[in-house]
Amino acid sequence: MSRLPTAAVASAAVLLLVLAVTGGSAHAAAPDDNETDDSGLALLRQAAGAARAESYYGTQFVTSWSPHGSVSSLIEITSTPGLGMTVRPTVTDPEASGTLERVDPASPAGGLVAPQDEMIDVMARNYQVVAAGGGQVCGRPSSVVHVVRPGGADAARYWIDDASGVILRREILDGRGRLASASAFIDFRSTAAAPKIAAATDTSVYAAPDVLALQAKGWTFPSVLPGRLELFSASEAEGGYLRLGYSDGLSVISVFVQPGTLDEEGLGGWRSERRGGHTIWVRDSVEQELIWASGGHVYTVFTDAPADMVDAAVAALPHDPEPGVWERLGRGAQAVFAWVNPFE
Amino acid sequence: MSHLGERVSALVDGELNHHERERALAHLTFCADCRSEVEAMRALKGRLRALPGPSMPTDLTMSLLRMGEPGGPLPPRMRPFPDGSSQEKSAPAFGGVSLPGPYSFAPVDNRPRRGVGFGLTGPGRGQRSSTRRKVGYVAAGVASAAVAIGTLFVVGGSDPKPVVPPVEMFKQQHNTTVPYGTPASAVPRP
Repeated sequence: MSRLPTAAVASAAVLLLVLAVTGGSAHAAAPDDNETDDSGLALLRQAAGAARAESYYGTQFVTSWSPHGSVSSLIEITSTPGLGMTVRPTVTDPEASGTLERVDPASPAGGLVAPQDEMIDVMARNYQVVAAGGGQVCGRPSSVVHVVRPGGADAARYWIDDASGVILRREILDGRGRLASASAFIDFRSTAAAPKIAAATDTSVYAAPDVLALQAKGWTFPSVLPGRLELFSASEAEGGYLRLGYSDGLSVISVFVQPGTLDEEGLGGWRSERRGGHTIWVRDSVEQELIWASGGHVYTVFTDAPADMVDAAVAALPHDPEPGVWERLGRGAQAVFAWVNPFE
Repeated sequence: MSHLGERVSALVDGELNHHERERALAHLTFCADCRSEVEAMRALKGRLRALPGPSMPTDLTMSLLRMGEPGGPLPPRMRPFPDGSSQEKSAPAFGGVSLPGPYSFAPVDNRPRRGVGFGLTGPGRGQRSSTRRKVGYVAAGVASAAVAIGTLFVVGGSDPKPVVPPVEMFKQQHNTTVPYGTPASAVPRP
C-alpha cells in the first residue's frame, strides 16, 4: 500500500462523505422486524457466496484511522468465478506500477468480503447481526447490515449490492463508535452478462489448532484475547517461529513469535512508543503493525482491528524482561527432567 | 590270667567296661611286664597330645576363600562412615576401643592412636588425616555442583540471538490468512 498525496486523500474523503450520507439515511431507516433475530446473518452468508460466484471489477477506496491519523489507498479489484480475485494497488507515481496479486476474498488482502461460515458463526456469537434497511453505494441499491455490540453500539456495517449480492462497502468501528477502517467501491461494474462459472466449492473442514501439542513444545500463548478475540489458528513454521491467528468474526489479528531478542537497529521505518511501561515499535500502514520483545521472544503483530481492540490485545500478550541466568538454569532443569521423566 | 596284650591300649584310652577294667587292674598288681607296658603307652599318648596340629596348606586356604567370593547378598552397610560420637554411645566398647557391630564391615581398629602414649606415632588415622578427608569431601562436592550447574546452563540453551523480524514475509502471511479456513483454501501468490 502506498501513501496517497493530500489531494487524492481529500477527494476520496469527499467520496466517503457522500457514501456516509447515503449510508446514514439507511441507518436512519426503520429497523427490521427481525432485528433481534440476527436477521442479517443470511444476507452476510449470501454475500460471502456471491463474492466467489459473481464476476465483477471496480475501484475500491480503503482507509484506516488511528490516533496518529489516517492512511488511505486505492485498489483495483477484479473477481472472476473460477479464477479468483486479483487486486492491484493504484499508485499516483506514473513510473511505479502496482503489483497484481491474486488473493482469496476471505483473507484480509481480499477485504474479508467472503468470510468462512465458521467466521460468520463467531461473529454471530459475539455480536448481533441485524438487517438495517436499504441504502445506496455507487448509485446501486444495497441492503444494509449492522453488526451490533452487546451494549447496542455498532461494531461494523455492511452494504450489500441487491443485484449481485457482493459487499460494496464495509466499515469497522471501535468501541466508542468511531470509524476504524472502511473499504468502499467508488466504481463497481458487475459483469453478470458474462457466462458464470460455478465457483469451486471448498469441501475442506476447518480444524481447530492443536494447542496442547504446541504447548508441549514449550510455546505459551493465550487462547483468547480481550475484545472477544478467539484463537482460530496456531502453527509452528519451518523457520522456527510460531504463527497465531485471532478473530472476533470481524477482524483478524496475526501474531508471529520468534525466539530471540529484538535487534532494534534493524527496524528501519519503524518508530518506538511507550505503552503500559513497555516499548512497542509501530509502523504507519493501512493495517496496524507492531513489534516488541518479551522474555527472549520477539512478537510481531499485523491486524485490521480497531486501535482500542489492538491495544487491549497487545497488553494481554507477554511483556516480560529478557531472561537471565536463573531462567536459563530453569530451562536446563526442565529439559533434564524431561529426559529422565519416564511418563513423557 | 594271661598278659593284657592288645587290651593295654584300650585300658589307657578308657575304653574297657567296668568288669574288664577291674580284671586288668588286678592283673597289673602282680604283672610287672604289663604294668611297664601300660606306663609306656600312657607316656607315648601324652607326648602325641602335646604335639601342635598340622598347618593348613596355603593352596587349600586360597581355594576355600575363592569359593566364598560369589556368595549371597551382603548384609546392609549400616554406617559406611561411622560417626565416632554416636558409635561410642551405641556400640559396645572394650578398653576404650569400640567393638564392631554385627554388620560392621571392618575389624576393630586397635592400633595405637597418633600421639597417644609416649609420643609415638603409629599407623592409625590421626586428626590431620581426618581434616584432609573432610577437605576432600568438600572439594568433591564443589566440583560436582559446578559440573551440575554447568550442565544445566548448557542444556538450558544459548542466549537468545538478536533477530530482525521478516516483516514483509509476516505481512504477506497475514494478508493471505483465511480465518477458519484450511491452509489449502488460500490461493497462493502467482
